[in-house]
Amino acid sequence: MKKRLYIELENCIGCRSCLAACTQCGGHEQRNRNYVYDVNPHVNRQTMPLMCLHCENPACARSCPAQAIQIHESGAVLSALVEKCIGCQNCTIACPYGIPKFDEEQNLMYKCDLCIDRTKDGIPPMCASVCPSNTLQWLTEGEIEKKQEQHNLDNGKWVTSMPYLEGATNVKVNLPGILQGTEKLF
Amino acid sequence: MSDRNNRVPFDEDNYTHNINRNNERMLDRRGFMKTLAGAAGVFAISSLPWGAVAAKELLGLGEKEYPHQKIVNVKDIAIGDSVDFNFPSEHDSAILIRLSDKRYVAYQNACTHLRCPVYWVKEEKEMVCPCHHGKFDAGTGAPTAGPPRRPLPGIQVEVSNGGVYAVKVKRYEA
Repeated sequence: MKKRLYIELENCIGCRSCLAACTQCGGHEQRNRNYVYDVNPHVNRQTMPLMCLHCENPACARSCPAQAIQIHESGAVLSALVEKCIGCQNCTIACPYGIPKFDEEQNLMYKCDLCIDRTKDGIPPMCASVCPSNTLQWLTEGEIEKKQEQHNLDNGKWVTSMPYLEGATNVKVNLPGILQGTEKLF
Repeated sequence: MSDRNNRVPFDEDNYTHNINRNNERMLDRRGFMKTLAGAAGVFAISSLPWGAVAAKELLGLGEKEYPHQKIVNVKDIAIGDSVDFNFPSEHDSAILIRLSDKRYVAYQNACTHLRCPVYWVKEEKEMVCPCHHGKFDAGTGAPTAGPPRRPLPGIQVEVSNGGVYAVKVKRYEA
């Protein structure tokens, strides 16, 4: 049952839980390997998580002269092998997303490896398992296909990934008058 | 072959560039270098016994005395004559020369150039090697002419009870 990391960007609330989880993960030595960006800084509050996207043809691994970055059978692009990495920082330049980070002290690149110790056993990566807003999800191919279907709701006003509105209820509630722009006397 | 390098994902299975964990070679370049260095280390360590042998020689522990071997009776060798014999083993040919009444010298007579047997030329009073005309001084065994550059290893001789005996071989001087 192969599962993938699925990122539903519009869910992100900018809580930085994924960063904290990555920071506190065992073996990460208090350093996170992912990012949370402001999509439009100073314009709105929308944020988006960005972690390694685990390319099919990873520029980082391609550019590595020591072949220290390996692709796991599950498709995850692993962090630099400590015994191979020569600290040349080619990968940090090659990656279009700026994912590989460099540890000056150890002269070693480190990057997200999709928590390979967990995901190889079918446990979701740390960031996905803590995300409170379902921005980061750990889904099978089938579930992702379902997610990518589009359902038009309410006369083409809304597009959702589900045939119903999430949180739709059978009780109809009006919006308070102030919000509707009308003033009610009673 | 032309589109081999343009496929995505890159389809490769070779020794020089592999980034798939499952295609990791048993002997990659680094492993090969390690093997090389390891072999060099093994060779280095295995040469240490020779170092011990050399040290033993240099520290004089090799001053080995062989069982005394009678070469010839004093009355059978005239002054200025030589006798061939083998010492310490039967494969080490040697030569004894009587230079004067009391003075005997003996050398292992394998020439230090290419190990031809050096013989004594009575008229010239010198030892000559027949192969390349190397010459040695009979008194010291030092080379005097021709290709050899190292002295012949001397053999210590003793005269007792009317016989000449070989006692020990002086260390070969490189």
